[in-house]
Amino acid sequence: MSDASAHALEHHEPVTSTGIPNKKVLMWAFLGSDCMFFGTLISTHLIYRKISATVGGNFLDIRDIFDIELTSFSTFILLASSLFMALAVSAIHKGNLNSTRWMLFGTIIFGAIFLACQVYEFTHFVHAPGNELTLSTYRGEPHVFGSTFYVLTGTHGTHVAIGVFWLLGWLAYSFTGKMSTANALDIEICGLYWHFVDIVWIIIFPVIYLMEYAM
Amino acid sequence: MSGHSEDPVAEESKRFFTFFNLSMFLVAITGIEIVIIYVQTFDGASIIGVLFATSIVKFVGVIWWFMHLRWDKILNTILFLMGLIIALGTYFAVIYMSDTHPVVEKFEVAKLEDEWKADHSYQSKDFVLHNNNYFQAKSDFQSAENFNPKNWKKVSGVPHAISYRITGGVDTIEINSLNPETPFFHLAHPQGEEEIDESTTALLASSASTADFRLKVRSEAYWTESQ
Repeated sequence: MSDASAHALEHHEPVTSTGIPNKKVLMWAFLGSDCMFFGTLISTHLIYRKISATVGGNFLDIRDIFDIELTSFSTFILLASSLFMALAVSAIHKGNLNSTRWMLFGTIIFGAIFLACQVYEFTHFVHAPGNELTLSTYRGEPHVFGSTFYVLTGTHGTHVAIGVFWLLGWLAYSFTGKMSTANALDIEICGLYWHFVDIVWIIIFPVIYLMEYAM
Repeated sequence: MSGHSEDPVAEESKRFFTFFNLSMFLVAITGIEIVIIYVQTFDGASIIGVLFATSIVKFVGVIWWFMHLRWDKILNTILFLMGLIIALGTYFAVIYMSDTHPVVEKFEVAKLEDEWKADHSYQSKDFVLHNNNYFQAKSDFQSAENFNPKNWKKVSGVPHAISYRITGGVDTIEINSLNPETPFFHLAHPQGEEEIDESTTALLASSASTADFRLKVRSEAYWTESQ
């Protein structure tokens, strides 16, 4: 028996022809397709950022409303949540239910902090005195920056929110007394999704935020 | 690729340190990115290059260790890379499709040989030729019947007019001399203009012609040179 099959049996996972549980293959295929989704959104933002480089006859300087300290903070928070998630997966593989529970809780809290930062940021942008950035205007002038920016970062935020609810489900399940190493694959798949959300932000943060300060 | 050992618990314990170290590494790299932006030591292109490099390092770190590709079967990596490659292909295709190829319609370098004229309106920094010497106007003024040296500063080089017309959208214009005897460099970053028709004046060490210079223009995806 191969190592993979032995591992699968040990965690009560069905043996498949690929040697990888179907759920996991499905998640990787989904993440591959989500790459294309975010790739399109990031491309759209960068292209319209270049085409619509002015507002009201002046060079568009979005740094007037960006709060890079807050965004940097939320980036560190999301990176830290990924560590919690990896440790949660590690703990369930080891059968340490208590540790799994705490690590899931940490991931949820950090994910919620990230979402709170994004809600604060969006509110701040929409109501910035003299620099209001809405979906279709900037400083009261028609502009496309808000459309591509909010759709991109909002879609990422929605992914984070879905991840938080998914993790909350597993945290609640852990209190039913039914959670065991048999759920290790499920937690691992949830972790794959969470890490993917993290890598998307790893791209968004420099490309959408930091690059504005380099130009 | 399946690296599961006989003792999964011991293996997971070893991974704890890998995850912790990776997390610290990611935090450190993100910190470096932010410091680079704050310090602004490099030029814009270099900063963007560094940001791309650090993002790729962080991206690979997360998918390789946090997402277990390091220990998983190759099929998962292939599935993910398929999507990633198509996403990158889409990005570059769209960037190129949205861009236009800049065209150099005109590029001329000519020696200024305007003789001084009486009763003529001169602007500050205008060049004139008088008695085989070049002079530069100190301020805006109307010339009198005779040449007044007080209004002019004698220059030791040969002034040239460099004129160019570019169409198709340009991010960067670079003009440099190919002749070591007449060193010259000019860099400009126009903002989203579809047509540029400008000229600049250069005081060169000796006479030069268009063949002694090269004009480079760049848009997001294209690079064009006059020679």
